[in-house]
Parts: sequence; C-alpha cells; structure tokens
Amino acid sequence: MPPREERGRDRLPAQLALPLTLEAHAAFDTLVDGQNAAAIAHVRSLADSRAGLVWVWGGHGCGKSHLLQAACRAADAAGKRTMYLPLARTDIVPEALAGLDALDFLALDDLEHRAGRPEWEHALFDVLNAYLVGGRSLVMAASAPPGAVGFRMPDLESRAAAAAVYRLHALDDDDQVEALRRHARGRGLELDPAAARFLQSRVTRDMAALCAWLHRLDTAALAAQRRITIPFIRASLEAPPEPSD
Amino acid sequence: MWKQCVGALASALTEQQLNTWIRPLQPVEDGNGAVRLLAPNRFVVDWVKAHCLDRIRSWWAEHGGTREVYLEVGSRRRPTPAVITSGDGEPKAGAPQLFGSRLNAAFTFETFVEGKSNQLARAAAMQVGQNPGTAYNPLFIYGGVGLGKTHLMHAIGNAILSRDANAKVAYVHSERFVGDMVRGLQHNTINEFKRTYRSLDTLLIDDIQFFAGKERSQEEFFHTFNALLEGQRQIVLTCDRYPKEVSGLEERLKSRFGWGLTVAIEPPELETSVAILMSKAAAEGEQLPEEVAFFIAQRIRSNVRELEGALRRVIANARFTGQPITLEFAKEALRDLLALQDKLVTVENIQKTVASYFKIRVSDLLSKRRSRSIARPRQIAMALAKELTTHSLPEIGDLFGGRDHTTVLHACRRVKELRETETRVAEDYNNLLRTLTS
Repeated sequence: MPPREERGRDRLPAQLALPLTLEAHAAFDTLVDGQNAAAIAHVRSLADSRAGLVWVWGGHGCGKSHLLQAACRAADAAGKRTMYLPLARTDIVPEALAGLDALDFLALDDLEHRAGRPEWEHALFDVLNAYLVGGRSLVMAASAPPGAVGFRMPDLESRAAAAAVYRLHALDDDDQVEALRRHARGRGLELDPAAARFLQSRVTRDMAALCAWLHRLDTAALAAQRRITIPFIRASLEAPPEPSD
Repeated sequence: MWKQCVGALASALTEQQLNTWIRPLQPVEDGNGAVRLLAPNRFVVDWVKAHCLDRIRSWWAEHGGTREVYLEVGSRRRPTPAVITSGDGEPKAGAPQLFGSRLNAAFTFETFVEGKSNQLARAAAMQVGQNPGTAYNPLFIYGGVGLGKTHLMHAIGNAILSRDANAKVAYVHSERFVGDMVRGLQHNTINEFKRTYRSLDTLLIDDIQFFAGKERSQEEFFHTFNALLEGQRQIVLTCDRYPKEVSGLEERLKSRFGWGLTVAIEPPELETSVAILMSKAAAEGEQLPEEVAFFIAQRIRSNVRELEGALRRVIANARFTGQPITLEFAKEALRDLLALQDKLVTVENIQKTVASYFKIRVSDLLSKRRSRSIARPRQIAMALAKELTTHSLPEIGDLFGGRDHTTVLHACRRVKELRETETRVAEDYNNLLRTLTS
C-alpha cells in the first residue's frame, strides 16, 4: 500500500466511493494472534504448503472471516486455485458448491446459516467427502463447533468433526488496539495508540465494528485533508452517520 | 498476465469479491490466441459474466492481448471425483477411466487398526479384497458414523487394484449415484449411466441410507445390483444401520442386501482408540506418548473422526510451537475442545438423553418406581453419569431422586455385567455414550 499522501494524490474523487471495508485488508499482516496463535498458524500452514481440514468457530467479530480471507489471499499468492464462499449471503445458492473439488484451497464461511437445511447439507456433504480424500485444503468457519452448529445429517457432522477444530477468541483490549493500528497501516496511515484507544472506548468493541469505523474515519479524513486524531474522531463520532459504507 | 489482470480488478472489487469470484478462475490459452477462463461451476460463470467479464476483456485487449476471453465451467487439472485410480492421485497408465471418487491411498488394511469392535468386518473385507466376486457378495458393512466403514471400503478397492491395476473399481457415495442418475435423466444420458455402472468389476457404494425415500434411484440401483451380482462382480455397501432398519428402503433391496454377509462395526473400545491414535500419529511422522493417547481416547469417545480431529490439533500445535507432545501440552492444546464436552455432559443432560432414548420421562428416572422398564434405564443413566462426569457417587445418588451411593454403585456394576452378557444393553449403552459425547 503506498503512503497516505501518495494515495491522496492518486485518488480520483470517484474512487472515494470504492467499497474498501474490513476485507480490503484481510491479510495475515493485519491479523493479531491474541489467544488464536495456534489456529492462525494452522490455517496459514494450509494456505502456504500443507493440505488438511480446519474448522474455526467463535462469536461475531472474533476474526473468522478475516482469517479465511487472509488465507485465501495467501493461498492465491502461493499459486493455489482458491475460493472464499460466505454462505450467509442470500444470493449464494447450493449450486455454488458444485465442482469445488477442482480447487486447491477452499474457505467456507458462516456455515451456521446453512446448517439444518437438507439441500445445503447434501451439497456440503459432497464437498467434505471430496476434501477428506486429501491433497487439498478446506477451512470452515461457523459460530459453533461441528457438533453444535445444527447439522441434521449425522454423517455431515461426523465428517466435519474430522477437521482440527479451533475456537477463535475475541481479541482483548490491547490486542484490539494493535489490530486496529495494523489495519490503519494497511490503509497507509499511522494511527496513534491513544487515538485507537479513544475510538475503542466509544464504539462497539469488536473488530468488524472498529474496522467499519476506521473506514469511515479514513474516508472523512481524506476528504477533509486531516489526520485521524482524537479531536477528529470525537467530531466524527458526533456527526450523523453516512447513509451507507 | 492473469495475475496482473487480477491486480487491476482489485481496484474495483472488494477483497471478498476477489476471493469468491475471481481467484477460483483458471486461465488457459487455447492456442488460437483466445483465452478461456475456467470456473469451478455455473454459478461463478454467471456472476463474472454479469459483473466483470467486459472489464476483463478490455483490460486484456489494452495490454496487448486478445479481446477473445471466454468463460466456461472446467478445470485444468481433472477434478478429483472424475476418475478412478489406485489411490496415488493420478490414474495408472492404461487404467480404465470411469467415474466415482478417488480412493484414498492411505486407507488400506495395514492402516486400519483392528480391535474387538471391528475385527469381523475387517476380516470379511480382507477376504473380499483378496477374492472379489466370490467371497462375500454383497458385503454389507454397517455401523455408526466415523467408525471406519469408509476406510474398509477404500481398503477393499485399494487391495483389488493392487492385484489388478486394470480392474474396474468404482467407489461412489450413494448421494453421487443419485446425482449421476438425475443428471442422466436430465441430459438424456441414462443409458450411458446404466452401461457405465453395469460394466464395473467392483462397486463400492457408501452410506446407502441416502437411498431412503428415493424410489427412482432405488429402482435403478436394484437393476444395477442384479446385473453386477449375476455377472459375479463384487458389491460392497455401507450403511449407518442394519439393512432391515432403514426405513424408506424397498423390501426387495433390503432382502438382497442380506444375500451375502452383513457385518457390524461398533464404536472402538478404549484400547483400540489408543492404538488408532498412535497409528495415525505415526503416519504423520509424530511420536505420540501412550499416556497422551489414553488421555485423548478417554476424553473423546464418540467416534474415530473426532479422535482424528483432536490429534490433528495436538500435532499442529506441537509443530507450531516446536514443543514436544506431553500430557500437559495435549491438555492445553485441547482445552477448549474438552471444555465444550465437559459443558455438554451434565447429569441433567444424561437424564434427559436417557429418558428420551427409552421413551420415558425424566421424572420416571427420579421416581421410586422399580419396574424393569424404568429401573434399567435408571441404572444405565447412573452408570453413564459415573463414566462421563466427575460427580462422586453420593452426588449422583442425590441427583437421581435422593438415592444412596450404594444404589449407584450397584447400578454401575449391574450395567457392566449386562453389557458383557446382553447385546441389546451393550448397544443401548454405546449409542447413548456416543450421543452424549458427540
């Protein structure tokens, strides 16, 4: 990412509306280990070289989607044919799971949204069977472990349980600040720790919300040609929200 | 050039869009200057066409390439479930190109850990591997999920192919059989479907409980089954329960499934679980201390797949941290997995599960009633509480309607005896154990 000033010069006004959100910086560089070092290392090893199955689970904002997308980006850089499928999206249908055994690295996110629905469970079952044969990697993410995510097919649940299952823990306050600063750096700006703490203490304390705020602040600061300081954050928090990001 | 094109698209798409729609594409030059972008399925093709194919074409043309960029479903590498192989990932020279899923080379009889729970099934499968079409036909293996049915099936296929690399062996999940048949009907290729299946030397068909309620598929499978059997071709089937117990399956199929040999695989006993863990660790090139294997096997009782999952985690953690695998290390590595299990297995949960299993009420379990239909489930629930929780015997007695600890002790001893002498009690106990720990 070029330095902030350079980006400001290069950007055309129309580009300000580009949908740069959390996932724009969903790389391993912006991931903070926190208590999740083992899970991150395992997923990273699958993206880089090894083959295998991992299931990560945890609450909203604990970094599941970030981890999966970072892994896809890394697997792509390693020359693997890769795909990230966020199953919570309503425009994704079971047919989207067909033929995925042609990939080297597959990341399936938000599995809890499709558990319990026969047409989805059958499609997922096919995918799991193909990846269990070995040689490729499948990383799955959900709000709960395989046994509690709500699968109706015992065979699907059992096959999913063959994955290495990790719980992802939300970052503590210090790690959250560090993660926020890394995201900021990914955008080419330096966020002062005090400013990061100020923001953290005033908005919803999960990474998804913090990153959404960072995006808003970045956009506003760029437009106003200001740095993101505590007064600027305070003023932005008091301003009415944008219609949408 | 494709990498650069993706880089250019990155400025207009989100990272999620790139990961979902663009990174699965595979560029192939077709020799005439045109570029084909291969997508894994029609869904991806449609999205890319609608959202960025024009942009890709413009970029390609602007950078000295062709505007002829096409999208289609496909893969440079043959997708795995399109070939039959001996398991090394690529078909052997001259081996017939058929269908079905790739056999897993790691699933052999040598890597199948034998115990009391599976020795009959293993012996029968080995016989079939050595004498396909003659030993036991069909061979019907049934048992709960994650106990090794698929492993045995792959081992049979691998054994047959190791003796005759040209044998036409197909391993097909029954879901796939149904899917292939539906596609055959849709695309008017049903005769080809029939011909292909009926030309096999060995058909390995997994999880036939999925045929339940699918009448057309059962009809087709019935004819395939007959054709293969008449030609003395081997059929191996697996199912999660005894054939007669699969509801929604035609009687004539159930009856035919029983013509050969029907064998069960039970959940592994502790010693077998330990042996499985040590064998799998060795296959990964890791030395697993016996006490660690015992610890994992004692805590994860549901099935072999979950044992594998836990082992994968311990090994990955050890590699990541560079630490040796010790008991303390394993406990730490599996902390949240085990905490979850501990949370699930409470006496209350055991009572609910047992009552529901025997179709009685929890209040019956806690009552003074001593009829066999209540007393036996109560004893089983007490034995499970002793095995799965850390409660003391007096505590368990209290939680079962204020009974004395000697009653709990008697129940545990009685259930232990009955499990050895009465198959039904052993089965009930194992089923409940599996339900409570999965």
